[in-house]
Amino acid sequence: MLFTSLQYLVFLPTVFLLYWICPHRLRVPLLLVASYVFYMSWRPIYGLLIAGLTLGNFLLVPLITKAQTEKGKKWMVALIVAANLITLGIFKYATFTVTCLKDSLDLFGVAWREPHLHILLPLGISFFVFEFIHYAVEVYRGKPLVKSLIDFSLFASFFPTQIAGPIKRYMDFIPQLSIPAKFKWEFVDQGMNLILMGLFKKLILGDNLALAVEAGFAHPANFGSVDLWLISYAYAFQIFFDFSGYTDIARGSALLFGYKVPINFNLPYIAANVSDFWHRWHISLSTWLRDYLYIPMGGSRRGEWKNYRNLFITMALGGLWHGAAMHFLIWGVFHGILLVLHKEYQKICEKLGVAKTLLSSKVYHWASVIVTFHLVVIGWVFFRAENMNIAWQMLSKMFMAPVDLMHFTANQLNILQIRDPIIFPALLIILPILMVSQVVIDWLNNKSIYQSPPWALQVGVMVALMCVLTVFSPDTSPKFIYFQF
Amino acid sequence: MCESTPSEMASCAQSSGCPLTRLLTGSTAVLALLVFLAINFYAATKNTQVGNNKLDKSWVGWAVNDFITSAERPNVVFLGSSLMLVPLSGNDANYLHKKLDGSKHHHAQYFQDVLKKRTGYLASAYTFALPGEMPSDAFMLTNFLLKDEKQPDVIVYGVGPRDFMDNLLPSPSATDPFRVLSQLGSIDDYASLFLPDWQARLDYELGKVFYFYKDREKITGALFTQANNYINKILPAPGGGKFSIFDRRQLLPAYHPAELEIGEAFFRPETAADKKRGIYDNLAEYRKRYKELKWDTFLTQMQFFANFLDTAKKRGIHVVVMAMPITEVNRSLLSDRAWNIYMHSVKALAQAKGASYINLHDSGAFQVTDFMDTVHLSPDGGKKMLDYLVETIRSDSKTLSYLNQNKQIETTTLAQTAKRKGNSL
Repeated sequence: MLFTSLQYLVFLPTVFLLYWICPHRLRVPLLLVASYVFYMSWRPIYGLLIAGLTLGNFLLVPLITKAQTEKGKKWMVALIVAANLITLGIFKYATFTVTCLKDSLDLFGVAWREPHLHILLPLGISFFVFEFIHYAVEVYRGKPLVKSLIDFSLFASFFPTQIAGPIKRYMDFIPQLSIPAKFKWEFVDQGMNLILMGLFKKLILGDNLALAVEAGFAHPANFGSVDLWLISYAYAFQIFFDFSGYTDIARGSALLFGYKVPINFNLPYIAANVSDFWHRWHISLSTWLRDYLYIPMGGSRRGEWKNYRNLFITMALGGLWHGAAMHFLIWGVFHGILLVLHKEYQKICEKLGVAKTLLSSKVYHWASVIVTFHLVVIGWVFFRAENMNIAWQMLSKMFMAPVDLMHFTANQLNILQIRDPIIFPALLIILPILMVSQVVIDWLNNKSIYQSPPWALQVGVMVALMCVLTVFSPDTSPKFIYFQF
Repeated sequence: MCESTPSEMASCAQSSGCPLTRLLTGSTAVLALLVFLAINFYAATKNTQVGNNKLDKSWVGWAVNDFITSAERPNVVFLGSSLMLVPLSGNDANYLHKKLDGSKHHHAQYFQDVLKKRTGYLASAYTFALPGEMPSDAFMLTNFLLKDEKQPDVIVYGVGPRDFMDNLLPSPSATDPFRVLSQLGSIDDYASLFLPDWQARLDYELGKVFYFYKDREKITGALFTQANNYINKILPAPGGGKFSIFDRRQLLPAYHPAELEIGEAFFRPETAADKKRGIYDNLAEYRKRYKELKWDTFLTQMQFFANFLDTAKKRGIHVVVMAMPITEVNRSLLSDRAWNIYMHSVKALAQAKGASYINLHDSGAFQVTDFMDTVHLSPDGGKKMLDYLVETIRSDSKTLSYLNQNKQIETTTLAQTAKRKGNSL
């Protein structure tokens, strides 16, 4: 069940109404049932997977606290983490591992007929496994256990965050379940606002940009260097609107029940450096990686080179978390390299004594923002391309852009030739607007009119969004396309 | 005294204790929803028209638009899937010695000429055969279009087993003809047949309640046209634009797949090289279509077939049902049971509803060399089919009697009606 589907349009209000008419003691069980209905609407059998993992973690994690020695505790938590990772590995990385093995054997001239593993990746597994690991490690670090199986089950399966996060922290989420909240209209107002904004980002912005992105990444040979930069910028915004839109809908849905889940994005494209970018992009994942991978490996406490090693490994594994394919790994490695280079660059600036001067310079700041954005866009090419061949093909063309711009004419822009869909030439108008909008929203964030707009403006914006979303709602019904001549 | 902002009104309302007042004024979201509903209701009651009545550029869009705007009343209308379309139009290309644009060629020219030659009857024959047309689509075409001053005398409907048993059909509402034709009339009486799935039904009912939802295709079409005009002015295509529909299909194959542009699809005269090539093997496609027979699809499409026959009969239109020939190798994909049920059901229903029935498949008139693939007749096979049809009509007094009905409707009246409705592409 997607957030943008008719099913969800029926599901969410139904659960919302039932939730608030139920007595408080039945609300959490109701949400738990709804969450399992939500998950199993995709593939019922995988309800057993999430239930099994939930029960397993709930029963095993207390054994950490019961271990007699520190070593015993470490072994226990390592076992639980390993069990969770193995489950994730089987479902997500088995086919990738087999493919890598076959490719490696091919390099040595060893012919091997690899088995075809018909493993369907369960939706959201990367998210709830990370939540289980987080719980186990926090209990090891001395945080209290969750006593209620129902509360714990809801923590893992909560339907707004089940499929695409944000990755929750149990100490933030579970205490909310025991508060007998009274219904407030602000839950509806804030929740609906977020849901409408999220749908707008996903359906209007993200899905329309996707048309140009799809064509460019599938057929890079049909486009010039400048075209490919524009298409890559479009992808940067497409992935942002898709993901942040989905997060907004998740947060809005949770708010309808009075629950707060973490924000995941904070204007990532105005980041002044790559480190700043990772404080603004998929925040729940980057903090998870920091707390449960980077810091346990030693973080920055064991010397410079070990710090760089830890950063590199964290980002590489973070890349692989996004998908079981080489280009995701390369994307992660790319960001790892950028983070290391950024650290080195900071050191050089400090040695030269220019760090303070640079930081206070607005020109330097905005130049950094532009450079960072372009580095991130280069990374996105790896992320989006179906394979490394396409990524290299695109990047090698894109790096010729400075040369092509020296004798630039409109004829070089193939996107101007394409008039249907109109998104292609419209990129030249839409992309600058989107880039500037990030700066404008950052400026508005401190303004009271943006934080608490007048009620008439709130109503007007919501009505406009409802109209636009109704008109542009996708027709997701299955189609019968017989044939084309 | 209640103040002016919703939050102030809310505290006032809450103190007043009235739940309805609290509901209406306590929430900007609820207020927004009410305003949104009011706008939809207002737009619906005013019958607000956005854009124009242009049907979109698709096989069915072109065929319907040509039919509506034509001043002529066809005596004979052909219905059917590509099993009918390909031999009809392919044979016309051979007969006329020129390539024919699929978006524009909707008359069965060879049939008209041979009917006149063999029977003396002057007839205008319109082709409403469309790729993938199901009996549910044929019913909608008949119900919404073949009536009043455009009512034909005879419908010739060529059917094949795929029409009733296509495993790839999600539901009757998934076809492109449904998408276009449902704009021309109400399907309320048949909603449960067209929309068996609850989500499709909800989608349909939402369209009845929310104006913006119902007409969203028209609205988005109008908006994109405006956006196109604006962008074409400020960012014209250098060199006038060389990007064709074929280029677009290479880049974005899944974008508007049912769209058909003028000059995109042609029926062309068959060459010696075409004949030498032999028949194309499309069995893999038909294995998917027949592989797991969905009996609910079969029964639903049979119901629509019956509805189509009833509608035609009520209006006084005579129907000639033709069981189209297919190759034995394609026939063998179906179990004997499925084949027999299909053949007997079509024949029994046709005859029960007063239609004429021609079994071309068992006529012995067609060999494998008459086919271009395992189901579609070649242009020469199409000629054979039409010759057989005309010969059958010649000896069918019932069909002849319908053709002989002197429904004289002034051409000028038709032209005036078309002009009044203002439909054009």
